[in-house]
Amino acid sequence: MDIKDFEVDGDGFLTKPELWNEEVAKMFAKSDGIEEMTPKHWAVVNIIRKNFEEKGNAPMVRTICQETGLKLREIYELFPLGPARGACRVAGLPKPDGCV
Amino acid sequence: MDTITKEQRKAALDLMKANLASDSKFQTHLNACVRCGLCATSCMYYIAFKDPKYIPGRKVNLVSSIYRRYFTPEGKYFPSLFNARNLDAEMAEEMVDCLFGGCTMCGRCVKHCSIGVDVSYIVKKGREMLAVMGLVPKTLQATVDAAINTGNNMAIPTEEFVDTIKWMEEELQDEMGDPKANIPLDETNRHIIYTLNPREPKFFPLSISAMAKVFYAAGESWTLSSKYYDVTNYGFFNGNNEEAAKIAGYLYDETHRLKADKLVLGECGHGSRASRWEGPNLLKKAYDFEMTTALELMAEYIRTGRIKVDKTKNQTLCTLHDPCNLVRNGGLLEEMRFVVKSCVANFVEMTPHGNDNFCCGGGGGQLAMSEYNERRLKIGGIKADQIKATGAKIVITPCHNCVDQLMQINHTYKLGVTIKTVAEIVADALVLPDPASPHDNPADTAAETVADPLHTDSNSSK
Ligand code: SF4
Ligand code: SF4
Repeated sequence: MDIKDFEVDGDGFLTKPELWNEEVAKMFAKSDGIEEMTPKHWAVVNIIRKNFEEKGNAPMVRTICQETGLKLREIYELFPLGPARGACRVAGLPKPDGCV
Repeated sequence: MDTITKEQRKAALDLMKANLASDSKFQTHLNACVRCGLCATSCMYYIAFKDPKYIPGRKVNLVSSIYRRYFTPEGKYFPSLFNARNLDAEMAEEMVDCLFGGCTMCGRCVKHCSIGVDVSYIVKKGREMLAVMGLVPKTLQATVDAAINTGNNMAIPTEEFVDTIKWMEEELQDEMGDPKANIPLDETNRHIIYTLNPREPKFFPLSISAMAKVFYAAGESWTLSSKYYDVTNYGFFNGNNEEAAKIAGYLYDETHRLKADKLVLGECGHGSRASRWEGPNLLKKAYDFEMTTALELMAEYIRTGRIKVDKTKNQTLCTLHDPCNLVRNGGLLEEMRFVVKSCVANFVEMTPHGNDNFCCGGGGGQLAMSEYNERRLKIGGIKADQIKATGAKIVITPCHNCVDQLMQINHTYKLGVTIKTVAEIVADALVLPDPASPHDNPADTAAETVADPLHTDSNSSK
């Protein structure tokens, strides 16, 4: 399986978020230079995924910190492209609007 | 695009006619370009792709060839002789591709054109025509719609915004060791109403606490609004002036509702421009309160000694990225350098910089348009090379839109730098007043007395 097998928008976000699974997440992470998805990475991705399935959008970074117990700084270290272009993309969300 | 309807063409031509009648600058600049091509090498798109369609004069020519075809007799009767073109599907497609997808409206070419053709202004007029034809790229329009419908371009619900601000407030109180260090929300009669880019509360809130720290050190009387705090205005880029006016109106009205003396525009280039410089045109009235940018406010605090900064606290080599809308198009070149050089010990300029600086590549609404992401990252390579050549490890810029593009460039071109806003650099350099001695800023005390004449201990905890 390869990223090219999936339809993504110009920014590389999944066009059909329902096609997401853990393999897809690993593949996207790898293309961002994250060699291994650690339990911390998964904790962030799962909470983003949950929020998206319940509310239809990406959670605030505060919610991510609160639910995972991670510090802000750790989130930025885990996903060098930040919560939006980094973590939300790995979690298979569409690109959020605005300056991200 | 297969066809465009008669109605679409008519809407665009009617708008062009109205613009020609109401704004003499339009006709002058349409006629001024002599197609010499000198501007070619000033444009990042042309430098990066070497495709003639990106030459700034060519972008002007798209719009001016429609003008000649429909509004001059020679173009009407001898279109090919006079370089006049029909507004058909092919033309509309080229316009979308070059005016939306091939220009950041950075204005660098304007400085390089010997005649001074205002290319970005013509590009904006072209975008306005595309907007009345319903041809705004979807992702850009979605960002404008979110701002209009919810008050902020990321559609953040108010409770979630408030929770984030409370969280940042707790962190600030911890850091300052002072339970009175706060981030006021929806307070009336404060001196300042401060504004944010929604990406701050949503994903990058540290710049909010940085600015709160600066306000704390200055003893400022300020507030945020929990509903209309968004400083951005993508209506400035989608070519729909009514939408731009509506968004600018939110901040205007909120400043009145909260009875603040001064609207302070957060670190955002186009947002500052849309309110500060274009706001009166958009709203068709003069602003009856003061307005300034966070950058100028911090410069004033430092200059008047209202905050103290120690540059030795920032030792890492820093460089500065000039946002087009604040520097080339906003005149804040010196202000910005004054603030940054007061706060960092080691500073190096990019080449070129200041008024001749290259755009980060994310301007003109590019950051919101996924359709053109690849182009945006390719032209960003010019900025990447500039940054690399400085050897700096921190890139400072007073614009969250530039910050996001620079973060992506940093990752894509493996620069290994940190991107910071000016507030973050100022906050890092702050010398805080001794917490043991109470704040004794006369301006602040005066403001508080007027705001709350019945001030007692029982209601001071709000
Ligand atoms: S915009 Fe100016 S520099 Fe460019 S082709 Fe036209 S006249 Fe020449
Ligand atoms: S405004 Fe900037 S991006 Fe647009 S044509 Fe001129 S130099 Fe190129």
